[in-house]
Formats: sequence, structure tokens, C-alpha cells
Amino acid sequence: MLYTKETYSAQKQMAQLVRTGESINVPGSKEEGLIQYRRLFRNNINNTMVQAFPIAFEILNSEQWDSLVDDFFAKHDSQTPHVWKLPQEFYLFVSENSYSEKFKLPFLNDLLLFEWLEIEAYTMADSNIEPYLKEGDMLEDVLETNPDYRLSRLEYPVHLYSGEESLNHKGDYYLLTYRLPLSFEVKYINMPLLHVLFFEKISIERMSGKEIINQLVNDNPGTEREELTSNFSAFTKTMLAEKVFLGFSQIYHN
Amino acid sequence: MIKNTNIGLGFRREIAEEFLNGNIQPDFIEVAPENWIDLGGYWGDVFRKVNERYPLILHGLSLSIGSPEEPDWNFLSKLKKIIKEFNVEIYSEHLSFAKMDNAHLYDLLPIPFKEDSIKHIIKRIKQVQDFLEMPLAIENVSYYTPIDSELPEDEFISRIVEESGCNLLLDVNNVYVNAFNHGYNTHEFISNMPLDKVVYLHIAGHHKLNNNLIIDTHGENIIDPVYELLDYTLDNMNHSVPVLLERDFNFPEMYVLKREMQNLKNIYAKHQQENVVH
Repeated sequence: MLYTKETYSAQKQMAQLVRTGESINVPGSKEEGLIQYRRLFRNNINNTMVQAFPIAFEILNSEQWDSLVDDFFAKHDSQTPHVWKLPQEFYLFVSENSYSEKFKLPFLNDLLLFEWLEIEAYTMADSNIEPYLKEGDMLEDVLETNPDYRLSRLEYPVHLYSGEESLNHKGDYYLLTYRLPLSFEVKYINMPLLHVLFFEKISIERMSGKEIINQLVNDNPGTEREELTSNFSAFTKTMLAEKVFLGFSQIYHN
Repeated sequence: MIKNTNIGLGFRREIAEEFLNGNIQPDFIEVAPENWIDLGGYWGDVFRKVNERYPLILHGLSLSIGSPEEPDWNFLSKLKKIIKEFNVEIYSEHLSFAKMDNAHLYDLLPIPFKEDSIKHIIKRIKQVQDFLEMPLAIENVSYYTPIDSELPEDEFISRIVEESGCNLLLDVNNVYVNAFNHGYNTHEFISNMPLDKVVYLHIAGHHKLNNNLIIDTHGENIIDPVYELLDYTLDNMNHSVPVLLERDFNFPEMYVLKREMQNLKNIYAKHQQENVVH
């Protein structure tokens, strides 16, 4: 850095002023200009978050919302150069700093995550789709997963109920958020734990239905093979229809 | 390839469809790479399609050439890839800072016009140019207050451009806004710019907040004195460069933007005729 201490300090004060709105005496500045900078910078952050989290913005009162935006801008060192990715940092900041407890809104973190997941699924970089066949055997072959997805665990089912109502249904919820390959539409599926297990064994461990069922039956004595097979078949049919699975892998082919 | 008399329009999501359906057909488009790098899905697809149709100029937001810290090399690597992929001929950035103490601010702040700032920024520009293997075009920014400045703005810009070997993106609306806000003469300012280094011009509308302050919004139509300032700038330049109409929000009906682009073409046509006569 070739700045003098004075220049560095003036820049630091200016940045501090726009982030906090504190009355800071920036050397050689005009007050009216400083006011405009704070207004414009703060508006920019606020507008980005209002657009990203419309449900949370609606639910929180203005004092709560403003304190989130003000604290985020003042205390969080934003890392992404892409402003459209900033809502993820906002969600993490709110979660890590226990605002849900302060506001007595236990579902707040899950709600922000749910709203961010929609943006993330809509905008995330395109993944390579591995070659797949449209026809195959649901038990013998390995299914090819649509790669543009996020699987998340929620404590409050804000994807099924309004924020307040979700308080009455606290539990373990698994939400698959994914993007359709051609229309780019974002879709959601609420998954029971068994289906999460099926999904991960197919998409991560690249196992066939038969292998999964054998493993589950061996590892869990008393499991009914027929019932499990029937459940697996129904799951894969639905997931193929919903384009969570695109077809049958050409690479992992039995 | 972008010709020197081409008129472009900023490609924004709100009016993306108009570019794709041919309702509006600028000679080239300009985007902020930060808004499109890493983007997949619908908008990634739109970006690919629009780039098949129009030549592209990149105008960055986050380089923060005036920051004390090092440039973001990871971001610059991605930028370099896009520059190569889309044969980008001009990459421009703002002579400002938008990051401080490892925190992005997502808008532009003025740099103190001082000797040490000049040295610091020249070093940064050279680093970036070496990395990207192409010259950077630096834009004069609008500002609403100076910070701890010791030099006139025109001297500050000129010395950075001359001594770093970068090019200049001259934003005539910013000259108008700053001259109003800080009380200087627009023609004198333009004449003091290193006009031989200008590779690109910007023009836009602004919002007059009160009798003391104009905000550079890119959300209004271009006013006549700004057109006249473009005319004056071209009068004083010995070469033609592409001109971009910037419109970032408060989008009007497309015929208004078409009319503004036609006005810019007419100004260029007048200068070409004058050059032939002379």
C-alpha cells in the first residue's frame, strides 16, 4: 500500500460512515454529500435484502427489519463481489447472531434459508449433466440425478406453513430445492427421512435400488424387503416424474 | 467487433427481453461482469444468448482500484476467462473505491485526490493490466463530496492515466454532475483530460436533488446540456470511440431509449460530416 496514514484513515472513516451512519468527521468533506452517500449505500443493501427476502420483510416489523439491515451492513464484512449472492451472507449473519431468539421468532433462520434457497437454486452455476438413458430398470440400474439441487434440513416447516403456523409443527424436515434443466423453474419437494436416505445413496454413493435395499435390509434386521422395495419403487417413479432424477446413468450401469 | 462510431446500451435484466426479441438493437451491449459471472439457470442462458447477438463491453463495479488492499485475484481470474471467452475489447472500471478493510460496500466512493493516491493507484492499475494482459479503461466517477483532497480532480485523473499507461473512459454526464456539485467549468475540465487516451464514452441521465446537488442516478432521460457536452467532447477529440447510453432503472418505453440512441448517432454523424468537410 502506497497510501499515507492520513489518506488511509480518511478512506477508513468514509467507509465507516456509510456502513454505520455514525456522525464521523471525514477530513475535507461536505456534510450534505456525506448524508447522500450514507442514504444511497444503505438503500442499496436494504433494497437487495427486501427483494431477496419478501416473506421475512413482510413478517418482521420495521424496527426488527431495520436493525437486521443496519447491523448487517455495519458489523458484517461482506465478502462476495456479486451483490446477488449477498443475501446468503445476510442469512448466515442473522443465523449466527441469534436474532431469532432476540426477536422471539424461532422460525426466522429457516425462513431466511428457505427464501435464499429459491434464489440459489434459480441462479447457481449450471452443473454438467452426466450422460443418461431415458429407459432403464429402477432396481438394477443407477439413477442419474439432476445436478442442480440443494438438500436442506429445517426445524420449522416454513415451506409448508406460514411462519407463525410453522411453530406448531416443529420437527425434522428435509427440503429438496432443485431447478429444472430446460425451463429453469425452481421446485421444492418435502422428503421423509427414508427418502433422503434413498436420494443420497443414489446421488452421492451412486448405488442401484437393489444395492440400497440389500444394504438397508442387512443393516436393519426386521426390515421388510417387500415393503421397502415397494416404497423405493414409488419414490423413484415420483422423482423421475418430477425430474429430480433425469433417467438412468450410462456411466454407472449394471 | 465494435466500431468506433457505435452506440451501445447497458444490458439490464429489466429490459433483457427487448434485446432478445429485437425490439431494441444497439450496436453493442455493456454489462457489469459482477452481475453475470458464475450465474447459471435462466439468466445464465439469457447472457449466452445476448452475447451471440451483440458485441460485449465489460464495465466493472467491484475492482475497487482505490482500495488499500490487494485486488481480488480470484475474481480477476474469472474476469480474464470471460474476457477471452467473449472476445471483450474493452474492460473499464471506476476510479473510486468500493471495498475497505476487506468488506465490499457495493457502491462507489471517491478517492482522496492526493499525490500518494496517484502513486498507489498507478501501481494497482499496472498490476491489473499485467494480470489481464490488456489495458484497463478508467472512468471518471461522479461524487457528492471530496475527501481529504489536495489536487484538482482533472489533474488527478490526467496524471493517473498518463503515468499508468491505462486508457480513459470519459463519462460526460459525470463531468456535468461534478461540475454542478463542485462548481467547476465543464469545458475546461474536458479540455484538461488526456483526450487522446479516451477509448470509450458514457452518457446518462441524472436527478437534480436540490439547487446544490445532482445525483448520478442513470434513471432519467439525458438532458440537453449533457448532449451538448458530448458534442463538445467529440469536437475536441481527434478520434471516434464507442458511446454507451447508461440506463439502470426507472426504464421508460423503448421508443424513448431508441430516440436517445438516435440522438447520439446524430451527434456522431454531424462530427463525421464536419471531418469530411475539413
